Amino acid sequence: MTQAEIKLCSLLLQEHFGEIVEKIGVHLIRTGSQPLRVIAHDTRTSPDQVKKALCVLIQHNLVTYQVHKRGTVEYEAQCSRVLRMLRYPRYIYTAKTLYSDTGELIVEELLLNGKMTMSALVKRVADRLTETMEDGKTMDYAEVSSTFVRLADTHFVQRCPLVSPTENSEPGPPQPAPTLVINENDMYLVPKLSLIGKGKRRRSSEDDATGEPKAKRLKHSTDNKEPIPDDGIYWQANLDRFHQHFRDQAIVSAVANRMDQTSSEIVRTMLRMSEITTPSSAPFTQPLSSNEIFRSLPTGYNISKQVLDQYLTLLADDPLEFVGKSGDSGGGMYVINLHKVLGSLATATLESVVQERFGSRCARIFRLVLQKKHLEQKQVEDFAMIPAKEAKDMLYKMLSENFMLLQSIANLIERRQFETKENKRLLEKSQRVEAIIASMQATGAEEAQLQEIEEMITAPERQQIETLKRNVNKLDASEIQVDETIFLLESYIESNTKRQ
Amino acid sequence: MAEVKVKLQPPDADPVEIENSKMKGSDNQEKLVYQIIEDAGNKGIWSRDIRYKSNLPLTEINKIFKNLEAETARESKQNPMIQRNSSFASSHEVWKYICELGISKVELSMEDIETILNTLIYDGKVEMTIIAAKEGTVGSVDGHMKLYRAVNPIIPPTGLVRAPCGLCPVFDDCHEGGEISPSNCIYMTEWLEF
Repeated sequence: MTQAEIKLCSLLLQEHFGEIVEKIGVHLIRTGSQPLRVIAHDTRTSPDQVKKALCVLIQHNLVTYQVHKRGTVEYEAQCSRVLRMLRYPRYIYTAKTLYSDTGELIVEELLLNGKMTMSALVKRVADRLTETMEDGKTMDYAEVSSTFVRLADTHFVQRCPLVSPTENSEPGPPQPAPTLVINENDMYLVPKLSLIGKGKRRRSSEDDATGEPKAKRLKHSTDNKEPIPDDGIYWQANLDRFHQHFRDQAIVSAVANRMDQTSSEIVRTMLRMSEITTPSSAPFTQPLSSNEIFRSLPTGYNISKQVLDQYLTLLADDPLEFVGKSGDSGGGMYVINLHKVLGSLATATLESVVQERFGSRCARIFRLVLQKKHLEQKQVEDFAMIPAKEAKDMLYKMLSENFMLLQSIANLIERRQFETKENKRLLEKSQRVEAIIASMQATGAEEAQLQEIEEMITAPERQQIETLKRNVNKLDASEIQVDETIFLLESYIESNTKRQ
Repeated sequence: MAEVKVKLQPPDADPVEIENSKMKGSDNQEKLVYQIIEDAGNKGIWSRDIRYKSNLPLTEINKIFKNLEAETARESKQNPMIQRNSSFASSHEVWKYICELGISKVELSMEDIETILNTLIYDGKVEMTIIAAKEGTVGSVDGHMKLYRAVNPIIPPTGLVRAPCGLCPVFDDCHEGGEISPSNCIYMTEWLEF
């Protein structure tokens, strides 16, 4: 692991889970696979605390375990999975654009909790949505459930592996740790639950939404003891599916930039048709016939079949080679060259970095060198700059050593934490005042009294807080933007190193 | 309502055709807005400035934008082949155009023009295609003709270069606790204040 990777993982673990989990997590990232007692010894932490830390890390898929021959269990950190935490806002936002607020909260809860049963998730999301609704309105469990089903159907959420049912019935001594398995066919199978109910508000007043006095309501909280209908069936966010979505977005955007809106919509349609059928790492999508594509165009998109065929021909003829023609049946068979597109996106990303860091002249040399191999094959004039092989090695090296990207994100996080710490006193004061105002409002204070409390924060202080908020948001946004660069480069590397 | 920057895309069809079709059936307000955008040229123009220049209310402007965009979209759905072919220019056509402009004090040959065009290719701004041409076709050399057209980059500037660290000259010397650190970074401070 590079220093930058460790640094960034450390920052992320600490921000999300605190000191102890950070200590254990970083230790495992540095040392590799270790059993519990060794972790406890090396980090000088009590075995009990190590267990708790490992529980959190395993719950969030950040650490995995393996049973070894002698019966020892070793724990291993998944560094790349830790870095995915940077992408959580993007996953949540995607769910929001596809499935609106309900989808957003479902994915957010899953990411915050690691794994959840559908029943617990639906209840929690219904409660949260109810909080935001007008007085008297509540969110039906059924509505949340149906959004959940859609997320499962489109593979954005998936079942977690479970304890194999035959495990404990096998002869011999019991396993020190369970083996978790999941059948491919079951991964997106939603259990048949009839979740009936509505979200509940958290009220600080005496009565709750149903008008029952608080004392009586406490008795109802024993409904926690009701049997959970889907006990043992846990769900998690399917990050790979989100990555496929991001990749598709990048491809559509590239086509729109290079060609036009209509071409990009056609490509979007082709990608949508290939969503579930083509594995992420495939070099190209399954061939699609022009007839099929025509039928699958979004309703209201009225171009004639003839015009569609023209667009497809243009796409296939384009020097970028994003779309290829693979046959003539069905009006013409077309594929999207995923490897080629990802390569072009990665190249464009590097060109962008060279351009901004080193200027136009260097960018020209860079593009020339990248194309040189192509030129050599065509036996055109020899622009001897850097040998093609060296250029290719340089390229791969730049791509695989993401250090600059990770370090940049670590720097942004450190600056954000610094800005917050600098204004800690003021932030705490502001929070105290807000809390006082909130409780005064609840007990029905007068406008004048509220005004007085609000004035405890001076105008310059208010300005300072606004500036802080703006800065923190800007730094946050920048982290996400740098992660977008990482995503494009990693997608290219992955697509070229996975075995077909 | 977010501010947007607007400019005219290189037209997919014959520029004269598009302009005429836009003017057909558009009212004076649309023509005015279109003219304002066109005058801004390649730099584009902020929607706020269009409001000032045209003195039209925001709702009107938004309606006009929608109409103009729809018209362009409608245009481009019609004849993709024709649009594409008309967006190419041969090196001969470019050479003739530059010569007629008279902007060069030195006499430029077609090969000179092609060298300049190559530079633009390595700038990622121009794309070249070679097609077979009949002997004797104007601008053809050895039965081939080089066609060029302007292209857009496939991605906007990448995330890394939009953060201060991506452009920082002392990146390697920077670490928390050092003389140069994220906490005391002047580039970050400037960038935050921007």
